[in-house]
Amino acid sequence: MSAHAPFISCLRLLSACVIALSACVPAWAADAPAEAASAPAVAASAPAESASAPAAAPQRLDDRIQDVKGDVIRLNRDLLVLEEELLFPANTQVAVFVSMDVGKMFELDSLQLKLDDKLVASYLYSPLEVQALHRGGMQRVYLGNLKSGEHEVVAFFTGKGPHFRDYKRGAMLKFEKGADPKYIELRIQDSTGKLQPEFDIRVWQ
Amino acid sequence: MAALACALGTAQAADMPQPKLVRDPHYGDTLFHFYQDHYFTAVTSLMASQHFQRVSQHADEAEMLRGGLLLSYGLHREAGDVFASLLEKSASPPVRDRAWFYLAKIRYQRGFMAEALGALGRIGKQLPPELDEERVLLHANVLMATQDNAGAARVLDELAKRPEAGLYARYNLGIALIRSGDVAAGSVWLDQLGKAVSPPMPPTDEYRSLRDQANLALGYASLRDDKPEAALGYLQRVRLEGLQANKALLGYGWALAAAKKHSEALVPWTELLKRDGRDSAVLEARLAVPYSYTQLGAFGQALERYNEAIAVYGKEDAALDESVAAIRAGKLIDGLLAANPGVEMGWFSSIQQLPEMPHAGHLTDVLAQHEFQEAFKNLRDLQFLDGNLKAWQDKLAVFDDMVATRRQAYAERLPKVREQQGTAGLNALRKRRDDVAAELQRVDSEVDLEALPTDRQRALIERVKRVNDNLDALGPEAAPDAARRARLATGLLTWDLAQDHVARLWAAQKDLRIIDRELGEAIQRDAALAQAQIDEPARFDAFAKRTAELAVRIAALIPRVATLAQQQQQAAQDIAVAELVRQKERLAQYSVQARFAVAQLHDRANGSREADRAPKP
Repeated sequence: MSAHAPFISCLRLLSACVIALSACVPAWAADAPAEAASAPAVAASAPAESASAPAAAPQRLDDRIQDVKGDVIRLNRDLLVLEEELLFPANTQVAVFVSMDVGKMFELDSLQLKLDDKLVASYLYSPLEVQALHRGGMQRVYLGNLKSGEHEVVAFFTGKGPHFRDYKRGAMLKFEKGADPKYIELRIQDSTGKLQPEFDIRVWQ
Repeated sequence: MAALACALGTAQAADMPQPKLVRDPHYGDTLFHFYQDHYFTAVTSLMASQHFQRVSQHADEAEMLRGGLLLSYGLHREAGDVFASLLEKSASPPVRDRAWFYLAKIRYQRGFMAEALGALGRIGKQLPPELDEERVLLHANVLMATQDNAGAARVLDELAKRPEAGLYARYNLGIALIRSGDVAAGSVWLDQLGKAVSPPMPPTDEYRSLRDQANLALGYASLRDDKPEAALGYLQRVRLEGLQANKALLGYGWALAAAKKHSEALVPWTELLKRDGRDSAVLEARLAVPYSYTQLGAFGQALERYNEAIAVYGKEDAALDESVAAIRAGKLIDGLLAANPGVEMGWFSSIQQLPEMPHAGHLTDVLAQHEFQEAFKNLRDLQFLDGNLKAWQDKLAVFDDMVATRRQAYAERLPKVREQQGTAGLNALRKRRDDVAAELQRVDSEVDLEALPTDRQRALIERVKRVNDNLDALGPEAAPDAARRARLATGLLTWDLAQDHVARLWAAQKDLRIIDRELGEAIQRDAALAQAQIDEPARFDAFAKRTAELAVRIAALIPRVATLAQQQQQAAQDIAVAELVRQKERLAQYSVQARFAVAQLHDRANGSREADRAPKP
């Protein structure tokens, strides 16, 4: 027995390290279960892991990477501005957005958009995109140019309506394009009174 | 460190106000990308919209979102500036509270604890409930980071007592109490969490995992305090298939061994030996099993098991060498990048697929390391940035061609258009308009009734004129009846013309006004074309200058990104190798212990033989 004493104390030391870990790390959220595989007693989250060493000095490589990320983000902003000013100048610009409120009565599958009887956009929606619309997002489905004067926009919505029946509806609007950019919103709303989805088109002023 | 930024990204997502009414469609477009976790598109399109001033109805929310998005990418300085600027602008109390909250997080993340506490102290009562719990957790973490564990426990105590308190509040309170020295109270909280069932607890892996951690922590703490019976109780609660199972089985065996139940201790340890042989608990169990045999007096079996352990450790050591060589050759990172392409830059991109490696089992510990995950995310971000920059480089070349083509078209076609349709035509039109206006003026002033006849009236005028001319030629006495009738017809025609004259004159003047308006528009268009001849070249020059400047920026960034990617790949590989080297060291330690034990067993055997050989009294 005594022959194994150093060996046992060593194993106990290893175990004590685990205890120390478990007793020292507060947890925060949980989104990285793999974290726990290497440090069993560490709280199950990446944030918790970082919380354990908040005062760690940032590494220079990390700093340089963050700098370059910031530079590329700013560059992208400038490039998007240039692209828009060059390709879609304000006086001819027209943008079409899609929005959806509750969306319980209509499950959007696809959209077709016509401007002056010309098909300008066709879009198939993923569940994630539909969810983003439900949460309050508005999709800019089309960005283009139109000359001044009267124009017509027609949208066809396809999906599942009440009782999961195939559902296809259209909406049309004539609008006047002036010298300012024109923003048009295709709205899908639930009509609780009619128990039907409603589709309309709105021009933002 | 960057993981906290990630958490902030998540928190920001949860915190995001969901406006019932989007008042700027472009803000809605940003939200559309944001809700799909397309943070890069969201933040860049938001910044472009802010440039065009088309999210003014959501100015503060947009800034708050931008700050959160920048923070999620670890851009602390920029994010800090955004939040500080919001505070300077005297935003509304809810916005100010959120800004202070995120500033506190940034400061905590950067290690400025006093400043973080200051920011936490500025948060009022307008924080959304879902953020308020996070505020308390943050406050406690800041206090613990400054060794004020008792303070952290006080802060958490109030939160943990709320019925809706989250699991982490309770877990952290237990940890804070233990760290502050109040082990008994801390153990109570962890014990509550460790024995809670679902329901009422949520039936989620997150909860079960946290419960396992609480039990494991309590079990090992009891072992340390030499309370094996208590340790057995805690460790028994850990799930057999969870992430903590191996550690729990190992501890359970040690608890039994500490209670002198060596043969029972063999049960969990033998079970462990059936599991992944590379797990640290399994490797330790390879030593623990022969230890128990030794305690039970089964020295032969103990020797056999120690020798088995030495062989396994040697084999594993060689396998680790192969893995280290493969990592250094870039197989790990290249394989991971190929198997896990990121759609966008962001924290949410987790590793889904393992690469082909000689010993994939070694990757578990490597990939589970937070440091490695962060390094890999950075590397994948850099890969995304490289693709982004190169795509823009191609686009800019197209923009350049577009500007050149437009410039040429303007230079060649505009003068011709103006010459053919503009100036020459306009002068003639202007003269004709002036003639018409003068004629109308004369008709009006002279009351020229015959100036504006209808076609029928014109025909009648000419007919009456012919009749009168013929009568004049015949003489006054030739046809008195015809002359009388001609006078009557002339009078009737004059009456008829006079009846409509005013209306026709008004209609003609109205037509003249329309001509004036259209002519004015034509003149304006011509002036615009003349102005365009001056302005457009300047505009094209400005576009060309901007594209050239942006091309320079892109050209400067591409090699920077490439260099950083190279360095980051090296850093990630170093982290992975360091982990495997740690495993090798641990193996070496185990191996030494096993050899030492074997030597002791041999000594014991030799001692016994010598004792047997010794002359008996």
